[in-house]
Amino acid sequence: MGIPFNRDSGRGVDSLGIPSEQFRETVRAALGRQDGPPSEPYSALTHNLTDIEAQAQTVRERIARETPELLDRLAATAGLRGWNVHRCDGAEEALGYVTSLVQTLGASSVARSEQAVFDSMPVDAAIAGAGGLCWPAVYEGPASRTGVRQRLAESGMGITGADYAIAETGSVVVLPRRGLSRLVSVVPPVHVAIVRPSDVVGTLDDLFALRRLEYVRNGGDMGSYLNFITGPSRTADIEQTIVVGVHGPREVHMVLLNEE
Amino acid sequence: MAEVVTRQFVPASQAAVKDAQLRQALRRAGTGFDGTRREAIEEVSPEVWEEWREEARRIKEHTIGHLDYYLEMLERNVTAAGGTVHFAVDAQQANAIVSQIARANNVQTVTKSKSMVSEELGLNHTLEAQEIDVFETDLGEYIIQLADETPSHLVAPALHKTRGQVAQLFADQLGVPYTEDIEEMARIARVALRQKFLDADMGISGANFLVAETGSLVIITNEGNGRLCTSAPRVHVGLAGMEKVIPSLQDLAVFLRLLPRSATGQRITSYMSMVTGPRRDEDEDGPEEFHLVIVDNGRSRLLADPALRESLYCIRCGACLNVCPVYQRVGGHAYGWVYPGPIGSIVTPGLVGLGQAKDLPNASTLCGACRDACPVQINIPRMLLHLRHNIAEGPESYRDAGSDTGSLLARGFAAIMSSPRLLGVGRKIGRRLLAPMAKGGVLGQSRIPLVSRWTRSRDLPVPAPRSFSEIWRDELSGKGPTGLQD
Amino acid sequence: MTLPQPTRASLFVTCIVDQLYPEVGVSVVRVLRRAGVAVDFPDGQTCCGQPLYNSGYVSEARKLAERTLDILSDKEYVVVPSGSCGAMMRVFYLDLFANDPELLARAKDLSQRVYEFTEFLVDVVGYESTPVEPATDDRPERGSAVAYHPSCHLLREMEVTNAPQRLLDAAPGVDRVELPDAEQCCGFGGTFAVKYPHISEEMLADKVAAATSSGADTLTACDMGCLMHIGGAVSRQKLPFQVRHIAQVLDGSAG
Ligand code: SF4
Repeated sequence: MGIPFNRDSGRGVDSLGIPSEQFRETVRAALGRQDGPPSEPYSALTHNLTDIEAQAQTVRERIARETPELLDRLAATAGLRGWNVHRCDGAEEALGYVTSLVQTLGASSVARSEQAVFDSMPVDAAIAGAGGLCWPAVYEGPASRTGVRQRLAESGMGITGADYAIAETGSVVVLPRRGLSRLVSVVPPVHVAIVRPSDVVGTLDDLFALRRLEYVRNGGDMGSYLNFITGPSRTADIEQTIVVGVHGPREVHMVLLNEE
Repeated sequence: MAEVVTRQFVPASQAAVKDAQLRQALRRAGTGFDGTRREAIEEVSPEVWEEWREEARRIKEHTIGHLDYYLEMLERNVTAAGGTVHFAVDAQQANAIVSQIARANNVQTVTKSKSMVSEELGLNHTLEAQEIDVFETDLGEYIIQLADETPSHLVAPALHKTRGQVAQLFADQLGVPYTEDIEEMARIARVALRQKFLDADMGISGANFLVAETGSLVIITNEGNGRLCTSAPRVHVGLAGMEKVIPSLQDLAVFLRLLPRSATGQRITSYMSMVTGPRRDEDEDGPEEFHLVIVDNGRSRLLADPALRESLYCIRCGACLNVCPVYQRVGGHAYGWVYPGPIGSIVTPGLVGLGQAKDLPNASTLCGACRDACPVQINIPRMLLHLRHNIAEGPESYRDAGSDTGSLLARGFAAIMSSPRLLGVGRKIGRRLLAPMAKGGVLGQSRIPLVSRWTRSRDLPVPAPRSFSEIWRDELSGKGPTGLQD
Repeated sequence: MTLPQPTRASLFVTCIVDQLYPEVGVSVVRVLRRAGVAVDFPDGQTCCGQPLYNSGYVSEARKLAERTLDILSDKEYVVVPSGSCGAMMRVFYLDLFANDPELLARAKDLSQRVYEFTEFLVDVVGYESTPVEPATDDRPERGSAVAYHPSCHLLREMEVTNAPQRLLDAAPGVDRVELPDAEQCCGFGGTFAVKYPHISEEMLADKVAAATSSGADTLTACDMGCLMHIGGAVSRQKLPFQVRHIAQVLDGSAG
């Protein structure tokens, strides 16, 4: 059976299968409804920027008020979800923790992202002092793709910052982009996430309210990827026995800064 | 489409209940998953849990009720993010779409993260027939791919396999030394798949949710394979049943709370990944192309029947399987197609046709444990009853050798029960026939057709010498509260 | 001074009790009367239609349901010693008549008035605080160790979650023991038990094993369907405990 081509999408990739309008017509017929939006507008879909701003502002104010408690809650929940949580008073202490990890693991190659958090935390130098090599996992054009990947596969540790951390779930949220590879937190067997107080949100609802504001502000761009990381990679697919470190890291560390 | 052997339910389930290893595996999984699920509910409190269920149900009700609208919104936003949406009416079309994407991109190797829809389509075989190497990367899926089997559970595909069976499989198929050490077996899978992840041309994933307003595909995983499949290859193809849409980003929160807790009792999974289009130019990595294939494959039939529509609210958590006394005895394969257990007994007839899956809605005691466990409050027993009605009184095509006997018995029963006099006569005849065969008031093993299916393991009482109605008339009526006849 | 009017209950005894287990009906009447309830027994009652409905024979089931609606119209309280027949009348009649406004109105009306036996005693009569009469010389001693099996439709359709346990706990001479995995279905399921005996038997075996391990000398429930199923295995295997309807346990009669 040949597949009909429908139309050109923006990127020059054609949509296959049946035309979407025809598909939707089948759905409408099954539902017995007319074309058009729901008669009752769906509250979670409001696009009124003022409303969304106001909602996000309320969330931010609450987070600001509750930051000390949220940090405690994050540390406790993250610990329960399998993170090794290390709370630090400053960059120096954080670096000390990271270098001691590098030494314990005997990791000679440590990959890291390029994120603002490292501006005030000279992690390359610290790890070099401990006899390891810390390198930024960024691609210099497509030619370096294979090279970076191979290097990542051989690295003993990956270090990233966090775009958010959620107290409710103990999750670190990363938004891969320029400087932050999707792979640096999943390919090496150990992942270290540096979390600053300003990254912390209370709940999943907080996070989605804030992201939604960004989305609407950006003229409707979510960014290509958003990832929650909550503890180590694990499986229970054989006899429900939990094993950590299947395809992702077996060990994850949350370095939680008490102050910016 | 994946092979349908739903007609084999009776022999398959007869074999399954005798399989001691299967029983052991089911028992372990059932009590394990369900135990932690209950703990997780206690932890948040049953009241909060109910609020979450209500909210999730409201969202699903709204979205499925306006599915055309949200599919349009989804398509618009996936496209705006640089992805492409394809709509497939059936399995054949879906397979053709994925094949064509693979050909257009000169794909030789595919890594897959878990997708029940792809099981439904039989996609792996389609791709393999075109000389494309397909690697399942979820450990459970990897195991059953090596064994050339199908999943037996919605979230734990290899649940039916004991560690010894997996050890033997790995030794035979991968040439590794036999080991029953589960940690070591997981390591073997990691090593076997590591390079595949980085070399694959195309990654295929399922979708737990599709967010209409942002055009995002959401997958929830524990192993990290989903992250690798959606990040490393040049092309990412997401497969989803059309019911996976939710309106807004903010609707996601409640599902992220409900799904892992219902599935395994986990408070949250290790990973939640949200994919919105292909990589942006400035991104470090991610696929160059993102395709989303939305599949009907019979779902519009479920949608069209108001009594079955709510089966499309399912988030495939597997909780109903874990609490189902029938699933717990017969396992997933006996159901004869991709979706087992209580929800499978509705979805499977919907997708493959009720005529060839008549045992599924009947093989239930309607105990209701599934409905209580379901995070979106799907009233599974009510839908099973609806399907039984369709079978018993529906079109000719559902009738078979047993149908006439069934309706004859039903009509006879209704006739007798419509007349207290007939019922009295019936009881007396029944008693006269059966009493001589009875011992101590009960019938032991009997050869009477139908009756024998009861008495093969259970004694059967014979009709009483006097009915309650007679006793009432003769001894109990006309007495006040104190008029006891003691 | 006038005495308060006794609560009046119309007994729908269910076809299985009427035909196979009339002694259960007698116990129901005795316990109700002892609780000060005036009992009547509406004429002409047979089967509520549940077996037909559960097997998909909806139009046949409707005939019996309509009859039952007629027979039970204008009764203040309808008391049913069965969770599954009670559920049929309270819950499933509404589905059965969903497309017939007149009958649906009558079904809704009945659904407000129908009570399972133990539910009625606890929620309407407030009986639990009134202990049943102690055993006397001419009435046998009650079974001491009683395990309770919550039948599925009573538990999940009628949502009667604790009335039976409360009555058992308040009954003198009854020592309630926990039944392991009590809320697991016994595998009866009406025609399921004969359509798929191989699955039904596996479930039954687990229920019987749980009852055995509970150490009870009596297993009780509020449904004779389930008890016929469990009791059938107990008698076949000559197991050392008896199976009795909760009315019999509360009545203290030897059954
Ligand atoms: S029907 Fe409900 S319980 Fe069963 S898999 Fe679907 S969502 Fe989970």
